[in-house]
Amino acid sequence: MPYPGLPPDYDGPAWITCPNELYDPVLGGQIYNRYIDELLYAEEVGFDGVCVNEHHQNAYGIMPSPNLIASILARQTKRVRIAVVGNALPLYDPPTRVAEEFAMIDCISGGRLIAGMVVGGGPEYYSFSMNPAHARERFAEAHELIIKAWTEPGPFEYIGKHYKLRYVNSWPRPVQQPHPEVWIPGVGSLETLEFVAKHRYAYMGIPYFHISVFERMFSLMREACRAEGYEADPSQLGWLVPIFVADTDAEARRRYEDHFWYFVRRLLPGINISPPGYTSVRSVENVLKGAGTFALNLKTWQEVVDGQYAMVGSPDTVAEQLGANIERLGVGNLLGLFQLGTLPAEDTHRNLTLFATEVMPRLRQRFGTAEDGTGEAHP
Amino acid sequence: MTVLEDATLPTAVGVVEIRRGGTGGPVPVVYLHSAQGEGAAMAFLEGLADTCRVVAPVFPGFGASEGLEAIDDIEDASFHVLDVLDRLDIARVDLVGLSLGGWLAAELATRWPERVRRVVLVNAVGLYVDGEPIKEIFGRPLDQLAADLYADPDHPVAQMMRALALAEGSPEQIPFDLIRPVIQAQAATAKLGWNPYLHNPKLRGRLGRISAPSLVVHGRHDGIVPRAHAEAYVAGIPDARLVDLDGAAHMATLERPTAVADLVLSHLRG
Repeated sequence: MPYPGLPPDYDGPAWITCPNELYDPVLGGQIYNRYIDELLYAEEVGFDGVCVNEHHQNAYGIMPSPNLIASILARQTKRVRIAVVGNALPLYDPPTRVAEEFAMIDCISGGRLIAGMVVGGGPEYYSFSMNPAHARERFAEAHELIIKAWTEPGPFEYIGKHYKLRYVNSWPRPVQQPHPEVWIPGVGSLETLEFVAKHRYAYMGIPYFHISVFERMFSLMREACRAEGYEADPSQLGWLVPIFVADTDAEARRRYEDHFWYFVRRLLPGINISPPGYTSVRSVENVLKGAGTFALNLKTWQEVVDGQYAMVGSPDTVAEQLGANIERLGVGNLLGLFQLGTLPAEDTHRNLTLFATEVMPRLRQRFGTAEDGTGEAHP
Repeated sequence: MTVLEDATLPTAVGVVEIRRGGTGGPVPVVYLHSAQGEGAAMAFLEGLADTCRVVAPVFPGFGASEGLEAIDDIEDASFHVLDVLDRLDIARVDLVGLSLGGWLAAELATRWPERVRRVVLVNAVGLYVDGEPIKEIFGRPLDQLAADLYADPDHPVAQMMRALALAEGSPEQIPFDLIRPVIQAQAATAKLGWNPYLHNPKLRGRLGRISAPSLVVHGRHDGIVPRAHAEAYVAGIPDARLVDLDGAAHMATLERPTAVADLVLSHLRG
């Protein structure tokens, strides 16, 4: 949920220290309602799911509480899966709060929640003054606690290193049994890949990198699953990518490019800060391999096209490119960002319509629908 | 000049590196390094080792020292240093600490005052002083940080930091062997000082327990720790005096090794 109203003369970061005087609450209210409408429209035109996520103190994604938006969607939709990707577990203390709120959304939606769990972005550890050197430990412990809260009869005692709770007894409990499907987004940290593989969850590759970075990431994920003694199922692999469809390739670029650059040049600065201890040394080495291709370094549209940072073009072009990449990456879930940067409501609406009517049927025909999902995501 | 030797020491949290050498002095001098992990403060340490027995333990997470996973906060860190002293059979000690190491020295001297004969705090963090914040050290561009750490822009470390800053947009081009120790050192520092930021809110109220005569050194060009912190240490420690050091910013033992060694030696003799 990008904030589209950063003034042209502001050239600072969009994260942590971006002055909140720049936030206009009236505009903010309008775009919350608009973005919710777009997510609701995605159900109307046939998407399988809608996604929301969590970020704090920034202009990139003004959704500090994705659970608030997800609860509106739970009530106002009837069919789509609602993927919260995710809650930044270490930021909830105690994390039983996540077990409770996710269970509420699952109950209200009749079991349509996908429970995403994340460590939280680097900037969040500045914005919350949360010790990044404890991020992974807290995440692992919070995850264990939440799954226990959903699956073991309460009340019980949980005594961990970071959380010490004498009475864990979550009301409500989720509709989905034993617990809602869990997705974990990541940018290639080895600990996260191994964690996802171990628990047989789904891994979602976070966008804004060169396509080759995703290739490597998903191949590492497959390796991690093999190390656990099984082959990764395509439904365990999700690819998140910006998508824009218009009548022709030329029109698509003309209508989209400026909004894409607003996103890249105004909203991404500051997102890539990696606080100390947040990532293990071996993972830093792995993540750094892709760092040079981070979208923040993009200079020209040709680089965007060459690196497949966004799928932009006519229905034919987008269907062809998406199809080729889904095959190449071997992913079972495609998560599209249909609104980005300053992309206005009418363009977003038409993008969703064209995608649903012209592109989605071709992808369904090519890949089947049994395990595959197409979602509209809002970062 | 006495050359220091590298050695290893098994401790409760893991094997740590130490540098040691020299003889003399009433008790051994233990140097506690800063968040920069200046194992290379050799000129300074060797300046002391000509007349003292000097031991410089490398803190877990820095260099090749193990055990960071067993240390979560400044209390754990203090007990680790106590463990190091015990294992080296050092019953009483003269403590010299730079920055983070100064904070550790103050923690040790408040907790176990009977074991500490003299204290020297150089640009020490550890206290909160209202209106005089310690500058951010995490996540800042290295060229900016270098300017806060070194008064002399041509100091070799400052030059290296500026060179690394040039490559910050494309970090994959920097040899990972250069990055690894920095990542580890920052993670170790974050464990002790992310929040509360580089201080222990309880430390100031305990400074009155320090029985050792204490020297508090402030680098006149220190861009990280304001002088008010040195003043607060001097106000809280019963027997303490403040010295302002010319030609030094934060990394005083690297920038002015001889001058700091002279200050330390005269304080230890006094």
